[in-house]
Amino acid sequence: MFRFRLDGSSGVPPYLQLVHQVRQSLLLGYLEEGDRLPTVKDVAADLAINPNTVVKAYRQLEHEGLAGGRPGQGTFITATSSTALPEEQQVLRASLEEWLRAVEEAGLDEEAVTALIAVARQDMKKEKV
Amino acid sequence: MTQNDTGGNIPALRTDRLGRRYGRVWGLRNCTLEVPAGVIAGLVGPNGAGKTTLLEMIIGLLQPTEGQLSVFGETSHAPMAARLAQVGYVAQDHPLYRDFSVGDMFHLGRAMNPSWDQKLALARTDALDIPLKRKVKSLSGGQRAQVSLTMALAKRAPLLVLDEPVSSLDPVARLEFMREVMAAAAGTGLTVIIASHVVSELERFCDWLIVLTGGHVQLAGPADNLIAAHRLLTVPRATTDAELPGLPVHRTDSDRHSSVLVRADPGRRAVQERPGWQADPVGFEQLVMAYLQRPSKSAARDDTAQAAARPGPNTKAVTR
Amino acid sequence: MIWVSWRQHRGQAIACLAVLAALAVYAILLGTSMRTAFGHDALTACLARSQGTACPAAIQAFTNRFGSEVNIAFWSVVLIVPGLIGVLVGGSLIARELEYGTWRLAWSQTVPRARWLAVKLALVTGGLIVLGAAMTGVITWYRAPMDRLTGHLQHNIYDFEGLVLTAYILSAFGFAVLAGLLLRRSIPAMVAAFIPWLAIRLVVEFVFRDHFLAPLTTTVNCTQVCGEGIGFVPQATGRIGDLVLSINGNVVTYQPADRFWTFQFIEAGIFVALTAAALGATIWLLHRRAA
Repeated sequence: MFRFRLDGSSGVPPYLQLVHQVRQSLLLGYLEEGDRLPTVKDVAADLAINPNTVVKAYRQLEHEGLAGGRPGQGTFITATSSTALPEEQQVLRASLEEWLRAVEEAGLDEEAVTALIAVARQDMKKEKV
Repeated sequence: MTQNDTGGNIPALRTDRLGRRYGRVWGLRNCTLEVPAGVIAGLVGPNGAGKTTLLEMIIGLLQPTEGQLSVFGETSHAPMAARLAQVGYVAQDHPLYRDFSVGDMFHLGRAMNPSWDQKLALARTDALDIPLKRKVKSLSGGQRAQVSLTMALAKRAPLLVLDEPVSSLDPVARLEFMREVMAAAAGTGLTVIIASHVVSELERFCDWLIVLTGGHVQLAGPADNLIAAHRLLTVPRATTDAELPGLPVHRTDSDRHSSVLVRADPGRRAVQERPGWQADPVGFEQLVMAYLQRPSKSAARDDTAQAAARPGPNTKAVTR
Repeated sequence: MIWVSWRQHRGQAIACLAVLAALAVYAILLGTSMRTAFGHDALTACLARSQGTACPAAIQAFTNRFGSEVNIAFWSVVLIVPGLIGVLVGGSLIARELEYGTWRLAWSQTVPRARWLAVKLALVTGGLIVLGAAMTGVITWYRAPMDRLTGHLQHNIYDFEGLVLTAYILSAFGFAVLAGLLLRRSIPAMVAAFIPWLAIRLVVEFVFRDHFLAPLTTTVNCTQVCGEGIGFVPQATGRIGDLVLSINGNVVTYQPADRFWTFQFIEAGIFVALTAAALGATIWLLHRRAA
């Protein structure tokens, strides 16, 4: 059975953590099309989280086309690892990894990166106006 | 099941200007809120804020001094037995009769509750490896907590009230306890109200939030909506409150800038972009802490706090 | 709810049974011994002929042998025993729930607290009545030979026969239950109930009892046996069992022996009324606090 984990101090909302874990597992090949995700009750009991949060995560997965529920049977993965991430995003992801490596070599930490991105975005918006 | 259904179903809890006085001191005042069925609500506040007062009125251990209260439609004027049947309760410190065996406690449950589900009680203690013959005084703290929880769950009431259920437990026992609560809530439509003064752990448990300080409600509503309705703004120090695109809840001033938690008014537009301004979403814990630190005498703001928190057309959850 | 009340008081019930058993053992030993001596000394025949004047030596020997249990020390201890039983059972009835916080468990089940209390009180009161009756029965049985010499209107004996022993226990119990609700702590409740109970007990016995009904007077010629008190067989009135209140020259003021049951009813009535008032107040206060 696929088991989730929860990082209580990450700042990322629990339901999003679940969604990310499914997407990541798909990309890494640990989840395949047709695999059944654990029931809401199992996840809620396993992680000690609100079952409504699990429901929300599963709905989000449905919305993104990664998983779907079959009435009476459970929730199943509907995507493949290639459809998990559209091609354009894969290209973007590759260039992002390059940039992140450069940033690391330059010695910037998380907050500096976030600030950098925020400033760049603002500048871009000003340019548009 | 999430957020917005207050229509149709009878809410698990509805209060209207509920108040309780002890002598000359008001333990709770002007409390107006609603908790829909099926949510897990966190009742947060420092010790002495009025959490236990509110919970005891919900359960039926205390009568209101003023205002109204109804639990699944049963008001505080309904017959006592009907009111008591609706709520399963685990008090702080998990009181049990120390000389009773676990089996004796279940016998008590059966004798005092027509809706008692003995099979459920036995199944739970079986799964947790708690022998029926053992006396309560020989149980560990975590086991006592589990037995208390079993007593409340086997009553099969639609509302479960937990008053600081894990504050006396070690971390492993805490996890075990909350696991059982979450599992019990899954799929049964059980409504849960958890009172706590430990904010950091609530995000994973609660989808509805009530913040109480000094006997007054500071914030109440669906957690997602409340978080979406707030922003953490970084603004120049000189910015006045009036210039802010929302009601300031908490402000921290540095030399050149200020960090302000604002509640966006439903009518106003989203945070306006300005040079030197930055808007970030607020985390669950940040939000609660900000409201906990507000002075408690903000009766005028209570109504707007709840108005903003109630689901409305402009406050849908924002995908991050 | 009956099972719950029983289970909560099971320990106390066993302790009371143990006390009763100990008393019964003592009573059987002493009672059998007394009956043997009574028969042996042919006291029955003597009493059939006279009110004790025909065999003063035999009577003296008998009372010397078995009379020690009526001395002051014994009596003081036994005076407080019914009160102790009552407060020990009653003091913790409500107070222990409040002390240990189990009221939050007990009163959030589907039984309204007024009913919870009513069933408990009914069961425990019933148990105490049975205990009181049993203790009275045991004591009355073993004392029967001695009572034939002294009657049972005398102060010490009267307290353990008839109805009053049970009534003493019940009234102490009632006070303690009420004190437990008001003070919320078991031991202080027991103390706070015992003191007024003892005060009332002593006042009723020493101030009021002798005058429940107007005493009678008679004139006698006092030659040998003319005194007040339990040691005199017969009493100054010439009859066994009368309670002599005072002797003025030749005039004896007394309560006749046949008023025993009337007095018992009056005194028991006083204490039962006190019990009802205390328990009624408790139920009313508890109900009102819930409202």
